[in-house]
Amino acid sequence: MSYTKKLPQALLVLVAIFSFVLNVEAQQKDVDSSVYDRLTELEKQVAQHKPGEEHFLIVGLLTTGFVSNKTTTTSGGTSSSAKTNSFPDVDHFEFSPMFLWRHGQKFLLEFEPSFDGSSLGVNWADVSWFAAPGLIIRGGYLVLPFGTYSKRLAAGWIDKLPTDPAGVADIPGADFGVEIEGGLPLGNMKWNYDVSLTNGMQLLPDGELQNVGSIDNNRNKTLTGRIGFLPFSNSSLEIGLSGLYGTAGDDNTSFKTAKTTMYAVDVNYVQLFNPIAVNFKGQFDDVHVNEQTYVDTANNSYTFNNNSTTYFAQLSLRPSGIANAFKNVELAFRVGNYTTPNGSLWGNKSDYVEGCLSYWLSWRTVFKCGVQSNTTTSTAPVDKGTKTKSNSLFLQFSIQL
Amino acid sequence: MRIISIRNIAALMVVTFGIATLFSVFGCKASQKVSGKTGVQLWAENCRRCHNTPSPNTFSHEQWETIGLHMQSRALLTDDERDKIVAFLKQ
Repeated sequence: MSYTKKLPQALLVLVAIFSFVLNVEAQQKDVDSSVYDRLTELEKQVAQHKPGEEHFLIVGLLTTGFVSNKTTTTSGGTSSSAKTNSFPDVDHFEFSPMFLWRHGQKFLLEFEPSFDGSSLGVNWADVSWFAAPGLIIRGGYLVLPFGTYSKRLAAGWIDKLPTDPAGVADIPGADFGVEIEGGLPLGNMKWNYDVSLTNGMQLLPDGELQNVGSIDNNRNKTLTGRIGFLPFSNSSLEIGLSGLYGTAGDDNTSFKTAKTTMYAVDVNYVQLFNPIAVNFKGQFDDVHVNEQTYVDTANNSYTFNNNSTTYFAQLSLRPSGIANAFKNVELAFRVGNYTTPNGSLWGNKSDYVEGCLSYWLSWRTVFKCGVQSNTTTSTAPVDKGTKTKSNSLFLQFSIQL
Repeated sequence: MRIISIRNIAALMVVTFGIATLFSVFGCKASQKVSGKTGVQLWAENCRRCHNTPSPNTFSHEQWETIGLHMQSRALLTDDERDKIVAFLKQ
């Protein structure tokens, strides 16, 4: 067979192959184009949802409930009783959304407004700079580093009982200023520090203290600090020592030399002794104002040793190591005392015991049923010796949002 | 005056001496036993100091990063503890 005869056939085959390749390429182009369009669309969608360096989050808490109370007052040999009940438990109702803004990994803004049933306040509003390992610098309206209850344990879904320990949660509270803090390793142990410099407190005409707010009442600042020590490698035990020192008197008044000194010791122990989780917490506070002369409502001068003390100790037990519904039950007890200055207009000695049975609906949702017995004896000049005995039943629900 | 009493000065000296002794004996770094701990161990040990241990499903990855910073400032966790706990919760 000659090559001239085969040439047309060969050309025909080549044209057929070329046409086939062109057809396949055209189809491929159509497919590529459709995938490309789809990818472009997905990229647009992803670009709208990319996390970026900033992040905003709302958490917070709600605590509400019911309280039934019977109070008996005995004075001069005569007694009187009063019964009340209320929805919600007005002393412990709280709706506090917490706003958290994170800028990268170095800055965090925290703002927690709080509605207590009658007024809207602010628990804290501050900015933290995570400057270096073990060094956080904060400024704004911040919770003072005095003890641990106010800063770590006061939230209703964290507190093992329906009430706050008397006197512990109120003073010194929150204040305007700056703070440095951090947690650091120490071999098998750990330690932490927390120091703040703030406007401080103001001494009132009756000798009580209150936070001064955003405009200082004198030119001195108040130094508050706490050192915590965790001696065990599993962090089960923490012991803390706190102190506060500052001028409390208004400038250019008879209280200008008034200075306040406070100390606190706190203990926290949490350990699982399978199947029972044991949780012990306690705090002791001592508040002192140096000697001042006060004026009563009849314009008479008087003085007293302006020293208050308060403590609480609480133990809770939860069978969290068992595998049925009882693992969600927790039993808690608290005892405490709050003693305000003898001879002041607000002098009292108050002892209380409290018990609570809780059921955890989730790790951050709890229903509590608690009872509290409180005996208060007045040490104020006007009603010295008056005894008030109060028994209360609390039903409380608290959730972290 | 009570503010600068002998008792206060003595207490301050005891605390300062105690801290100085601890630093000199143990140094300011974690032991091998502590630095070898996993995120799940640290999550179990540290969260329960104040509240129940949180479920990892509660928040998204980005939310855990934010919560991690907030909790570090509350519980005064070390940076290593925070990083490992957040990494565990993001799984």
